[in-house]
Amino acid sequence: MKTKIEEIDGKWIATLEGEMDTAAALEMEEVLAPLYNSNGKDITFDCTHLEYIASSGLRILLGILKNAKANGGKVVLKNVSNDIKDVFRMTGFIDLFIFE
Amino acid sequence: MTYQWFSKKLGGWRSLGFVIATAVLLELISAIQYYYAHYLLENELEERVQIELFSKSKMLHYTLSSAETSLNEHLWDIQRNLNEPDSLFAVTQRLIEANSKIHGAFLAFIPDYYPQKGHLFEPYAYKTNNGIVVEQLSENDTHDYTKHPAYQRMEAEKKAFWSDPYQYVTEEGPQSLTTYSYPICDRDGHFIAICGIDLSLTWLGDTLNTRHMYPSSFNLFMTESGNLIAAPNKDSVSVERVNRVVSMIKDSTVARSLTDNQRSTEIAFTEDNGDQGYIYYAHMSDDPHWLVAVVCYDDEVYGSLAKMRRHILLLMVAGFLLLGLIIIRTIRNMLRLKQAEIKEERINSELRVAKEIQLQMLPKQFPPYPNRKDIDIFGSLVTAREVGGDLFDFFLRDEKLFFCIGDVSGKGTPSAMLMAVTHALFRSASAHENNPARIMQALNEASCQGNDSNMFVTMFIGVLDLPTGHLRYCNAGHDAPFILSHEALNAVECKPHLPIGVFEDIKYNQQECQLEPGSTLFLYTDGLTEAKNSLRELYGLPRTETVLASCSRQLTPKEIIEVVSKAVHLFVGDAEQSDDLTMLAIRYTPTAFESILSQTLTLKNDVHEVPRLHDFLKSVSKQLNMKDPLAAQLRLAVEEAVVNVMDYAYPTGIEGYVTIEAISNGKQLRVIITDSGIPFDPTIQEKADISLTAEERRIGGLGILLVRDLMDTVNYERTDGKNILTLIKEISNS
Repeated sequence: MKTKIEEIDGKWIATLEGEMDTAAALEMEEVLAPLYNSNGKDITFDCTHLEYIASSGLRILLGILKNAKANGGKVVLKNVSNDIKDVFRMTGFIDLFIFE
Repeated sequence: MTYQWFSKKLGGWRSLGFVIATAVLLELISAIQYYYAHYLLENELEERVQIELFSKSKMLHYTLSSAETSLNEHLWDIQRNLNEPDSLFAVTQRLIEANSKIHGAFLAFIPDYYPQKGHLFEPYAYKTNNGIVVEQLSENDTHDYTKHPAYQRMEAEKKAFWSDPYQYVTEEGPQSLTTYSYPICDRDGHFIAICGIDLSLTWLGDTLNTRHMYPSSFNLFMTESGNLIAAPNKDSVSVERVNRVVSMIKDSTVARSLTDNQRSTEIAFTEDNGDQGYIYYAHMSDDPHWLVAVVCYDDEVYGSLAKMRRHILLLMVAGFLLLGLIIIRTIRNMLRLKQAEIKEERINSELRVAKEIQLQMLPKQFPPYPNRKDIDIFGSLVTAREVGGDLFDFFLRDEKLFFCIGDVSGKGTPSAMLMAVTHALFRSASAHENNPARIMQALNEASCQGNDSNMFVTMFIGVLDLPTGHLRYCNAGHDAPFILSHEALNAVECKPHLPIGVFEDIKYNQQECQLEPGSTLFLYTDGLTEAKNSLRELYGLPRTETVLASCSRQLTPKEIIEVVSKAVHLFVGDAEQSDDLTMLAIRYTPTAFESILSQTLTLKNDVHEVPRLHDFLKSVSKQLNMKDPLAAQLRLAVEEAVVNVMDYAYPTGIEGYVTIEAISNGKQLRVIITDSGIPFDPTIQEKADISLTAEERRIGGLGILLVRDLMDTVNYERTDGKNILTLIKEISNS
């Protein structure tokens, strides 16, 4: 699991790669810590290479989303594969995020 | 309401009409009867009056004629003594002596017949208290009999006649007398004297009235000219009354043709006091043609009839009142009966609907799980009345069969209502609970609340884990079920628990046993053991055991229940079913799982172990030739389940292990996750609500949601201090 975040033009871009299982999610949480306090900046997750996500990963995304929304920011998920979208669908998260 | 009012009103009028019509008819009959009786009485009265008048006139006639005879018998005596005037005194005396009724006798000679005796000669004898006195009346100048109308009449007619009665004062008091005058002639036929006899009629009045037709009726004699001859004495009938009668008769005779004197004449009159009376009178057939009259009064003639009529009328009125009452009561009863019938019909139809609703609640499709080979169930409920208080139910959740059988105390509608409530409670209580004791506890608490009618329910709740045959159960005062296994017939061992609905704070305990493959669990209500035959004998437990023991172990649940039903029906015969009879049979026939793959992985309770799990699952997927997304789904589901166990089964900081076993027969993959942590059943946790917004969503509950979505079956079982979570996925279609 590879994760990186960068700030471009006042927006956060996070790139998620590989399998985000529960163990990976624990590590990722540290990397993504700045996004928990985005100060209203929009956040885009690039999921092009995200192969797997467990509920712990969804929880992190939900935490970031809640914070962003509270500060007037948007959270966009980019290039999510259909299999992973199914997981979002099963959990009802599909309606919470913006998919591009 | 309207119907009742109408029928009541109509019924009332109709019955009233009936009573009135009957009354009128009977009154008519009674009136005809009355007038006919009146007519008969009138006829009888007339007959009696005729006889009375006849006999009285005969009596008078006899008296008169006997006096005439006495006179006639002495004519020769007179003739013989004509030459000796002085001896004639003796003749008059003999005349009196000849007849007791003769008061006096005289011979009044024409003037100067005996010159030596003076101008007038009249020997006269009469009775006194001291005997017969004889005197010569002519010596007294004041008595010139030739001036007497009777003498003049005799002189003219020379025929015997009776004078009208007259009052004459004698020593015995005033007397009513009549004088019979007879012409005496000499040998040449010349009229020479009148022989007269005075006949006392005073006695007639008394004799006439010694016998009455009616108590107040009386008889009298009178002359046509209105002179009273004889009447009852003043004490019995007043003079005024007698005079009134006499004057009425006198008025009547003037108007009446004298020729018609054979029959009596009737005069109806009304007294001043309003009494109706009748006078019947008739003339004597012979001279002197006096009148005989009978007076009688309406109330005596027809008094008894009127009295009878009054009694009959009273009786009839009483009878009709009674009849009316009876009719009204009868009609009211009939109406009440009819209303009761309508009401009963309504209740019955409602009960039929209630019965349908009740039966709808119970499982009714048998076999219930045709696709499953490991379980076969049959249930039967026969209510004693339209609705019953028995219940049974079962359903599958995950790989568990939840079932129950219960019997509400009492019968009929109240029991049926509690039965419905209990059934609903069972479903809701077992939705998120696998522990039968806790389900029972929940049922008991709910049943006790507001249970003012003090009804209770005996109940057996079982949860059968189908992969293992592990049966957990709780019995609240119900008959212990039987297990028909290959070897024997055993009653399930049950702790003595009170039925539900009695006390709120009862602790129910769960019991466990192992169901052998091929064995059948037989549950029943006391309608079976307490079925009665016509001799009031109970079917009883021994007979139940015998019939169950006789059942072949190859029989399906349906067949077993049919055998038992038949045996009970045979025993009960024609006797009425006394209680609801419910039976539920569950046959457990698990199929052996022929695994072609069996791999095990043990992890510490640390999420950092998760990558190892993924490697293990990838290996399993590969061996089973599972492709994405199925393989990925499997990984996600198992990861979520294992992480869930790691999070909850062990308290933070306590080290433990989680074992993951994957077995497959090629068609189905089973992942069995076992840990030794605290009891934790993820299957009963509430699912996360996925319809909430981001702000409302909470963390948690997502894992089990995914597990349920991704796997076909999730089953939790706690055995031997271990949590066993089984995830099952059909893989044959991949």
